[in-house]
This record gives sequence, structure tokens and C-alpha cells, in this order.
Amino acid sequence: MSHVQHWLPLSSRIGSALLGGYIFVWGFSSLIVALNLFLGGDYDEGLTLAYMLAFLVFIVAFLWAFAATSLTRVWLILAGGGTAMTVAAWMLTQTLSAQL
Amino acid sequence: MLSSFRLSMTWVHTWFGLVLGYVLMACFFFGSLSVFDREIDRWAIPETRYEPQALPSFDTMLLPIFKQIKPAEESYEHAQDEVEGPLPPADTMVPTHFTAYTTHRDPVLSMYSWFDVPNQPKDPNVDHVHVYGDATVDPRNGMLISSDKLKIGSAFFYPLHYHLHLDWKDLGYWIVGLAALIMLVALVTGVIMHRKIFREFFTFRPNKQTQRSTLDLHNLTGVVALPFHFFFAFTGLVIFAGIYLPVTEKMFHQQHQAHEKLEAVQTGLPHDPAGVAAPLASVDAMVEEARRRWAARGMGGEVGFLEVAHYGDTNGYVSIYRAGTDRVTLTGQGIHFRASTGELIREEPQPTTVSGINEWLTGLHLQHFRHWMLRWLYVFGGLCGCACIATGFIFFVEKRKRQHAKAGTSGARWVDALAVAAVTGMMIATATILVANRLLPESLPARGDWEQRIFWFAWLVALLHAAWRSAPVQRALISPAWREQCWALAMLCIAAPVLNWITTGDHLFKTIGERYWPVAGFDLALLAVAGVTAYAARRLARAEASAPASATSERATMDAAHA
Repeated sequence: MSHVQHWLPLSSRIGSALLGGYIFVWGFSSLIVALNLFLGGDYDEGLTLAYMLAFLVFIVAFLWAFAATSLTRVWLILAGGGTAMTVAAWMLTQTLSAQL
Repeated sequence: MLSSFRLSMTWVHTWFGLVLGYVLMACFFFGSLSVFDREIDRWAIPETRYEPQALPSFDTMLLPIFKQIKPAEESYEHAQDEVEGPLPPADTMVPTHFTAYTTHRDPVLSMYSWFDVPNQPKDPNVDHVHVYGDATVDPRNGMLISSDKLKIGSAFFYPLHYHLHLDWKDLGYWIVGLAALIMLVALVTGVIMHRKIFREFFTFRPNKQTQRSTLDLHNLTGVVALPFHFFFAFTGLVIFAGIYLPVTEKMFHQQHQAHEKLEAVQTGLPHDPAGVAAPLASVDAMVEEARRRWAARGMGGEVGFLEVAHYGDTNGYVSIYRAGTDRVTLTGQGIHFRASTGELIREEPQPTTVSGINEWLTGLHLQHFRHWMLRWLYVFGGLCGCACIATGFIFFVEKRKRQHAKAGTSGARWVDALAVAAVTGMMIATATILVANRLLPESLPARGDWEQRIFWFAWLVALLHAAWRSAPVQRALISPAWREQCWALAMLCIAAPVLNWITTGDHLFKTIGERYWPVAGFDLALLAVAGVTAYAARRLARAEASAPASATSERATMDAAHA
């Protein structure tokens, strides 16, 4: 096995855990904040809840990135899922702004 | 990733633990020192060696001082970078907010003023930019403590443990945040790796070979204080979550503003000034009233934090918070008054479940409570974390150094050199800043800056020494840098209390006799470190003396086996 063949999947794996994990956690946190607002909750409450859960979610996402067999699936769920949640949160805030 | 789940988790534990371990070492060590940051301040600034003081009179002492505070140069320059056009001259800026902060361990009072800036912020998501100024005061007489005097505990060691003094783009916060995440990951993977976790509670075989006893100690210190390690890494992340996940600034700016306006209406605490001048009523009377109201709810105690918002404006208000010495939860039970009349605006209700949990989490990390035994347990937990990380490095090296020596690679050597710098080198830098604090002339301008430079320089020298002396590791031996730095540390830790005695006259018999524990305790702790490191140095010397023999005999057996 050449060095390139070995390093490329490894870097991608580390990237998926750190960057993918971060995107996922960002999406998760923003979705909690947005959902809480949408349900009429207090802004700070939603934010505090999101912050308290965010890093627990990050640990799970991070470890799963190394435990999973398929690297493609890891990227898809962490980065893709995170982006999807961020977009969903953003769309929710747009409907809220319309009400403001 | 690898063929089995446990192998993958072991890989994560080993490599992420190794790389971020160097950062975690500093976080745990300086975090442990921060438990007694106020006491270290007393040691470093001898003119503040007197009993903790309650908040002095605002009306007669603090208000005139607040009015004299000028914008800090650093803050002024920072604000200039954030706004369009030149700022008005610092001298002409008018303060609009005052805060005063003290704890049950503070003989001095920290005071901060903010100044409004008329310039347009460059970032459209920022509403206002402020400039800050601060002062430290002796509450007994209102005298200022020179800002050239560095509070080594609360202004150097304490921030070092959460941002490493790397201010550029909050880089230090991000590195520490990543390290904290990896700490959590290392704890989880550590448990997964070792299935016999209960047995490891009771296993330490100090006389087995180094690799085995190091691993025992790594597991023991990790497992015994596991909840402590997890809790501190986790709550550290939650405390600074606003930096790591700035969703408010990036996504919910509009919603947040709407929330702030709504909150201002609901609480009656004006969000913005009215632009109409108004006098300030007696704040001392408001403090009295706040104390009376807390007492009526069964809570005695002192004021911990006082804020005057929109000073000089008819929308101004005064917020008074309790020092939370009697509970873990970081809560102020704030009481707010109209600044111009002193009438009550609002008494904060019980927190909701979510913010109650959050206040408890942050409170347990930030420890405003008065409980000395719990404080010492924190130090013990933090030092267990240091021991766990340090033994992690040593195990990494011990496990590989023979293979590396045979293969002729130098990986183990450099890991070992960095470990020396991260463990003994870090402690040498810590002891050096204390020695420098006692040796530098009292009147030296920017004395605190020199102390900090000497700290970093000492650490760098320790790193270079560790690298220079690390060659034996490549021959599967012990680096003499460990022993040499232990001796250096032992001597520095004796020098510091001796210099404290010579320069201040506060020797141990005097401070113990007077029961002045902030200084007596720190001197004793330094002497204890000197004792432990001298012992470690002698053990290392013995190990080094016997190592070449065993390495040769090992080779002889190997040769014999080959033959």
C-alpha cells in the first residue's frame, strides 16, 4: 500500500470527524434555536438548551465518523445532514421574520 | 475505520490524545492553579496581602473612581479596528456603564467602565462597539493598585487555561475547545478500550516495568477522576459555546434583537438610553434594599457584582447581584433599581429549568462557593488529569521506543522531548514567573509584561533543552532532560518562597503564625512540589544508572536467542 493510498482516506476520515462533525453540530444547534422560536419559546432558553446538547452530539458524531465502515456515508450524514438542518433552521426563521 | 470497533477507538484515543494532550496538559495544570488564583495574586502583589473586603460605599468611594477611569489603550486600538472613521480622542470619551466585581476571596475590587463609541461599526451585524477601561482598588481606602502589577493567578494563569493567551482571531479559544472535545472523546474511547474498568480502580503496580506501571497509573488517574475530567472538559465547552457556535451572530441576529427588545419591555430594564440626562440616586441605599430583600428570602451574604447601566441617562438602571458563596449554582438573584430614583424595577424570579441546569453546570466549573475542602478536591482532580495525560505520553514512548530504536526512527524521541517540555518545562516556566515576580524591580514600567515574557522564554528554553538532551531515547534509554528539569524545578520552587521571604519579610513562620493562608499555603505548596520533584529526580537518576545495563542484557538475550 503506497503512502498516498493510506493518507488520503485517513485525512478524509479525520476531516469528516472534525469538519463534518462541526457542520452537523451547527445544524443541530441552529435547528433547536429555530424550532424553539417557532414553538413560541424564549430565545435564550432555546440557545442555552442547544449549547448544552451540542457538544454531547459532537462526541457521538466524532466517534461515529471513526467507527463507521463507509466513509461516504459518514460525510453524507454529517456534512449533508448538518447542511440540511441549517437550511431547515434558516427556512424556519424566514417564516418567523415574515410574522415579525 | 479499522477492522474492529475497538481498534478504531484505540486509534482515536492514541493519536488524538497524543496531539491534543500537549494542550490539555496546560489546560488541566493552569486550571488547577486557577482554583487558587486569588491566593496566587496575593503572593504576587504583596501590597494586597490583607483580608478579603466587602463592597465599599459606591456613592463616596466608587463613583469618583469610576468617573476617573480612562479607556484602556488595548481596548481603544481594538475598537478603532472595528469601526469606520477615526475614534474621538480617548480622553474625551464619556463612560456609560460601570461594573464592580468581587468575591469572598478578594481583598481588592475590580472595576470596569465602558465608553460608547459614536462611529459606525464595520460589521453590519454589530449594533454598537464599546471601549473599556478598568481599575483595581483597595476597598479600605480607595487607592488604586498599579496596572503594571500583574495578577499572576487571575489575570495570567487563569486565562491561560482557556485561551493560552493567543488572542489573534480567538485562536486560543478554538485550540482549547478542540482539546476539550478530544478530552471527552479520549475519556469515552478510553472506557471502550479497557473492558475491565472496575479492576483498574484498584490496580497500580509501581514496581513492574515502567511501561506496565505507567499504564496502571494512566488508567487509575483516568478512571478515579473520570466524572471530574468529563465534567470539566464538557462545562468548559458549554461556558464558551457562544464562541464555538456563534449561531446568534451568523443566523439569528434579527430574532435575537427582537428578543432583546421584548425582554427589555418584559423586565422593565431599558435596552437603550433615552438621550435625556438624569442624576444618579444613592446606590448605597439600593445596595441596602437589595440586601434586605435577599435576607427576606432567607439568603444573607454580600454583593458580588454591581452594574450601573446607561449612566447619567433617564433610562439608567442599577443591577445588584449576590456573591454566590453559599451554593454551587452560579446565580446572582439580581435585583434591579431605577438609577435616577432608586425605586425597584424588578427582582429576578427563580430560573427556568433549562437555565437552572446551565447555571448549575457553569457554577460547578467556576466555583464561586465558599468550601475549602471542595476547592482542594478540585485541585486534586485537576492534578489527576495532569498525571493521566503525562503518563499517557510516557506510555506512548515506552511502548514504542525499543521498536523505534531498532528501526532507527526518531518518533518516540520527539514525542518524549515534547512531553518533557509539556510537563516539567511547563512547571519550570510557572516557577520562573514567580521568581521573576520577586526579582524584578518594583518600579519597572510594564513590570507585568516582563513577567509574562520571562514565563514564555523559560518555557522555550525548557523545550530546547528537552530536545537537545533527548538523543538517548533513540537508543531506547531515558532522556536525562526529565531528571535535569526536575532538579531545576526543585530549585526554583525553593527559590520562590525564599525570595518571598527576603523581599517581603513574610516567611513561613510568620504567615503560618498569622494564619495568613493565601501566602502560607502557596509557599507550602511550592516547597511540596520541590520535595516531590527532588524525589522524582533521584528515582530517575537510579533508573538511568540501571537502564544501560538492562538494555545491554536485553540485547544479550536477544542475541543469544538469535544465535
